[in-house]
Amino acid sequence: MEHIQKIEEALSVVWEEREKGISGKDSLRASIIDKVKEDTLEDLAREGYITLNKDAVIFTRIGEIKAKDITRRQRLAERLLMDVLELSRKEMDSSACEFEHILSKEVEESICTLLAHPKECPHGLSIPPGDCCVKANGYLESIVVSVSKLNPGEAGKIVYVLTRGHPQLHKLMSLGVVPGTVITLHQVFPSFVIQVEETQLALEKELADEIYVKRLGRL
Amino acid sequence: MNIVLVGNPNVGKSVIFNALTGKYVTVSNYPGTTVEVAKGVGKFSGHTLSVIDTPGVNSLTAHSEDEKVTKDILSRSDISAIVQVADSKNMKRSLLLTLELMELNIPLVLNLNMSDEAKERGIKIDIKKLSEKLGIDVAETIAITGEGIPRLKEAILKARPARSFTAAVKAEDSKDAIALLNKRGKIADNLIKETMTTSRSLKRRVSEIIGRLTIRPLSGMPILFLVLTFMYLFVGKLAAGRGVDFFENILFGKYVNPAVAGLVDNFIHIGIIKEFLIGEYGIVTMAITYSLAIIFPIVTAFFLFFGVLEDSGYLPRLSILSDRIFKSIGLNGRAILPIILGLGCGTMATLTARILDTKKERILVTLLLTLAIPCSAQLGVIIGILGALSAKAAIIWLAAILFVMVVVGYTASRIIPGARSPFIQEIPPIRMPQISNIVTKTFARLKWYLKEAVPLFILGTIILFICDKTGVLRVIEYISRPVIVTLLGLPGKVTQVFILGFLRRDYGAAGLYALSKNGLIDGVQTVVSIVVITLFMPCIAQFFVTIKERGVKTACAIATFVFIFSFFFGGLLNFMLRYLIAHGVAAV
Repeated sequence: MEHIQKIEEALSVVWEEREKGISGKDSLRASIIDKVKEDTLEDLAREGYITLNKDAVIFTRIGEIKAKDITRRQRLAERLLMDVLELSRKEMDSSACEFEHILSKEVEESICTLLAHPKECPHGLSIPPGDCCVKANGYLESIVVSVSKLNPGEAGKIVYVLTRGHPQLHKLMSLGVVPGTVITLHQVFPSFVIQVEETQLALEKELADEIYVKRLGRL
Repeated sequence: MNIVLVGNPNVGKSVIFNALTGKYVTVSNYPGTTVEVAKGVGKFSGHTLSVIDTPGVNSLTAHSEDEKVTKDILSRSDISAIVQVADSKNMKRSLLLTLELMELNIPLVLNLNMSDEAKERGIKIDIKKLSEKLGIDVAETIAITGEGIPRLKEAILKARPARSFTAAVKAEDSKDAIALLNKRGKIADNLIKETMTTSRSLKRRVSEIIGRLTIRPLSGMPILFLVLTFMYLFVGKLAAGRGVDFFENILFGKYVNPAVAGLVDNFIHIGIIKEFLIGEYGIVTMAITYSLAIIFPIVTAFFLFFGVLEDSGYLPRLSILSDRIFKSIGLNGRAILPIILGLGCGTMATLTARILDTKKERILVTLLLTLAIPCSAQLGVIIGILGALSAKAAIIWLAAILFVMVVVGYTASRIIPGARSPFIQEIPPIRMPQISNIVTKTFARLKWYLKEAVPLFILGTIILFICDKTGVLRVIEYISRPVIVTLLGLPGKVTQVFILGFLRRDYGAAGLYALSKNGLIDGVQTVVSIVVITLFMPCIAQFFVTIKERGVKTACAIATFVFIFSFFFGGLLNFMLRYLIAHGVAAV
């Protein structure tokens, strides 16, 4: 592993530990050694990412930004590998930590938009929002949204279906709800009703949340 | 040689089956009509082949019990050809299944059914090109009119195995299975692009507008109310009132019974045989009168009305309106189908519980069907009794049954382990019901009723007759006094109604009908006893199907609970009503 990658990994470890409320020097050192097989805590301090305040470890301003960035890319990469490429948890964990280091800012934003600005990684940890997410929330609507976010009458082309529960995913797919298919949303209450080809399907909201489509507007 | 019909749900496999074999199996407009495999023999230009109809599946990865049934049949070795019946207007879904069937390496014919509906929607399919691309025969049909059936028969005779586009993977590997589905999706898309053109017709059909109105709460609830009111008027007032009146009082009362009595009086002089035929518990005066004069007109009306509802495509739409209510009792909207079918026949409905995905849901629905859902014959008789009593009595009965459904459903959903499955339901298009199919279906059901119910009625009467003659009836009445007389506040004579109820609930209800009509029980007694008979044990047939579907242990547990609970709840209701009346709050 190159030095820069080790630094990035170490920063993401510090970030993740902070999410759990751990900032003790010794336990952080142990976690970093566990992850990157080297004690880089002093390197982080020397390069100005953290300050070592007695026992506690605190991010500097650039450290905070850099750590947030790397964590975000890491977790977005996990989502991409798992949702779109359908890798298993194990395969994903080994690929994602290589992958995030080579993502450029543009690619990162495209992935984020493609995935409809996801809020959590597959492990359930929160993904720090990037500029694109803030924009999407503010005024720009994402092109890829879940069916539950469409307006009645609106159509969308299925981009992917979240793979949380395999049996129902399989059921949806065999009903024709597969990537590439155009669906139209008819109604949202009491259940969602979508049209796939000439078939009408009633779905509960929890399932409509898991089908992501590219907005096509009213057809 | 075995030919197996396979296809997505609600594409018309059973109509094709009927057309190929000349045999009748039930046809409806909702997914899941066929839950059991039907077999028949068809003549194909001199060759005789056996044809097997299967429950609809969307894929061969078995997730629910009806899918397993189809999968098991396809894994048999004596299949000479598969006919995939497909809905021409849903080509993507159809082709996804075609591609999966091709992996089996069994001779395959693709039958594009309902081609008239596809044409109406502006869908054109190049049959020749599709056949070339797939490497199998493709035959278009409009099964309900019989169009294209000869051509389909020809294709079946020369069916050949297809070279598959994709290789099957082991289903256990879900990741590979999903990847394979994606791959099939792409192949299907390409096939559609090359062989199908769609010219969107802009005019929205009337049926489509009606279809939408039925699933929106604001318009859907009033429509549901109208449907129920119409059913009450047609079945409860017209058939149970005027129809039964004609059959019981005029046909049987004035002609049949006096004629039989005259014959018996003239020719049979042995007292006991005379009584066996026309006495209080006589075959003619009780079994035949109850089954033919009281119940027959009612079930005929119910089956007719129900057939129209089934074929219109209305029933599955109720799942959308009821989903949220069912979720509170551990089910989802899909459960409305077996529950509503239970209003037709609890035995059939218990089989239909197979369309539910989890074991917990199937047990819950079976419990509710056993406990709270009256079958058509019973419901008709009950509506008849209530119609003669008062609207207030009808409301008390309905409220009591709904209350039991929700409370027992809610409690049971917390006790029975497992989860509910997510709600996915296909909504079939609204169609104009075909009178010929409704008539055929009603006849088939009436034939079944006569074959199934009348012998049981006669058996029940014989048992009662023997119990009466040997004095056992009085012993049973004496033993059950604390329950019937003290707890429920009913006359001891009602005990015989519950004995009949063990055989068939509608027979028990018919007994109550007679008692109530002759003024032997008062208003409160009538309400209490019909609530108990509604909740009471399932009929013998339903009990056996429950054993077959859910196992002996579950079936016995359900039956024991229902038996105790129905009397307990009846007692509670009795004391409540008496208390209210004593305090001048209400009178029935």
